[in-house]
Amino acid sequence: MCTITKDQVYKAISTVIDPEVGFNLVEMGLIYDVMIEESCNVKVVMTLSTRGCPLHQMITQWVREAVERIEGVGIVEIDIVWEPAWNISMADERVKAALGGGGTMW
Amino acid sequence: MFNVSKDYAPPFGMIAPFFKMGSFFYIMGIIFLFFIKSDFSHNDLNLLALVHWYLLGFVMMIIFGAMAQLIPVVMEVGHFSIDLYRLIWPFLTIGTFLMGIGFLVSPKILPYGGLLVIVSMSIFLYDTIMTLRHVEHISLTVKTVAVSSLFLSLGIFSGFMMALGIGEGLGIDMDKWLDIHVVFVLGGYVTLTIMGLSIILLPMFGLSHGFDETPIKRAFWLMVAGVSGYSITRFLGTVQWGELLSLLVIFISVWFYLYQIMIIYRSRARKENDIWAKSMYFGYGSLASALILGMINILVHSEQLLLAAGWFVIMGFFTFLITGHLYKIIPFLVWFERFSPLVGKEKVPMLHEMYPKKVAQYEFVFSSLGVVIGGLGLLLGNDTLFKVGISLMVVGGGCMFYSVKWMMNYK
Repeated sequence: MCTITKDQVYKAISTVIDPEVGFNLVEMGLIYDVMIEESCNVKVVMTLSTRGCPLHQMITQWVREAVERIEGVGIVEIDIVWEPAWNISMADERVKAALGGGGTMW
Repeated sequence: MFNVSKDYAPPFGMIAPFFKMGSFFYIMGIIFLFFIKSDFSHNDLNLLALVHWYLLGFVMMIIFGAMAQLIPVVMEVGHFSIDLYRLIWPFLTIGTFLMGIGFLVSPKILPYGGLLVIVSMSIFLYDTIMTLRHVEHISLTVKTVAVSSLFLSLGIFSGFMMALGIGEGLGIDMDKWLDIHVVFVLGGYVTLTIMGLSIILLPMFGLSHGFDETPIKRAFWLMVAGVSGYSITRFLGTVQWGELLSLLVIFISVWFYLYQIMIIYRSRARKENDIWAKSMYFGYGSLASALILGMINILVHSEQLLLAAGWFVIMGFFTFLITGHLYKIIPFLVWFERFSPLVGKEKVPMLHEMYPKKVAQYEFVFSSLGVVIGGLGLLLGNDTLFKVGISLMVVGGGCMFYSVKWMMNYK
């Protein structure tokens, strides 16, 4: 019986920060789902804020490494999907507030 | 599945010379403006020296350097041979120097400089075309890269013919070839390339999603039709209304493009006005100003209007789109090279921390004021105003030079 919880996985992934916007992937709303098998293998279903992201490969690797740091975790699989496409409504309120009007013209 | 491998990202050391040389040509080009009077003619040899110095040494140099990183992003496939980029900048640098000297001092040198520029651009085109062969997903941006590569080839050819005309006395109609050369290079290559890249980059940096792309598709086909129509009718010289119609089609294309930019702007989630966003506002504002001046010029034929329109396109639109993106591209490449291996092991900087904000702000203020005042000087034929504008731009250029150095040395 696997004792790893979804919350643990989300917490681990929240250490991964998008260097362009400065927010972690969980609060950006980029993590769509987490599935944990009996054997403690973990599958993360996620997206990226843009298809052309030059950090695609690295972000995938960072998420995998973050989840692998959870004690007792088995094989970690990352599934990048483009449907539904990410949009700002998926981000949490703190991100929306910070992106949507934090800056002034001068 | 779409995938960009780490292997696709070029080593920073390979791309850095493009940005260093581009910044050098930029600041030197602005200083060179002091030696130009505001009442010059558009085919004055001093002006041609400056324009080639600026467009080849700064605009093309930075575009080529940026394409080393952006081609895998927009084409979703790795370069055919990224190592070819090691050859591009030295040929382009020497060729641009020789062309500048050729225009200013000795026209005999011009074809040799032109030949080196052709070599550098041919290497770029070879890698781009060979990379295109492996593309699976034919997006609009891929189409713009393909078509603009063709126009660049024709622009190079027409330019070399003119170099032979000036340097070796080849008997060609220089005015005709100049018009065709300008339309191929500025409309067919630079503007189409900017259109194609911006439809990827602006939504990426502004986090815009789910917007209508109809205007950019129309802009693309209209620009292709306009550039092709103009070059053919101007070359044949038999259908004068064809030239005018083609120019109108190009203008309409740019308006559609500006409309698309407005749609992307309205749908953006990221509303902070950083140096990149401000540079985009100014760049697109300059493009709109140039369009208005250009359209008035068609009606009233004024050299001052033509020069002012060209000024706002080159010094306002091209320059600010390029300098604005430098504050995104250089920090990313430096971060990727120096900090990405440290993610998860120690605290790494965010990209927005990797450029000097105050100096960048100074650069924007001085350069934008300089472009506006210099443009007014050209429009009014006022040399003092023109020189005041250039003085401000020199200060802005110095700030940009400092910023590029600062970003590259970030540790």
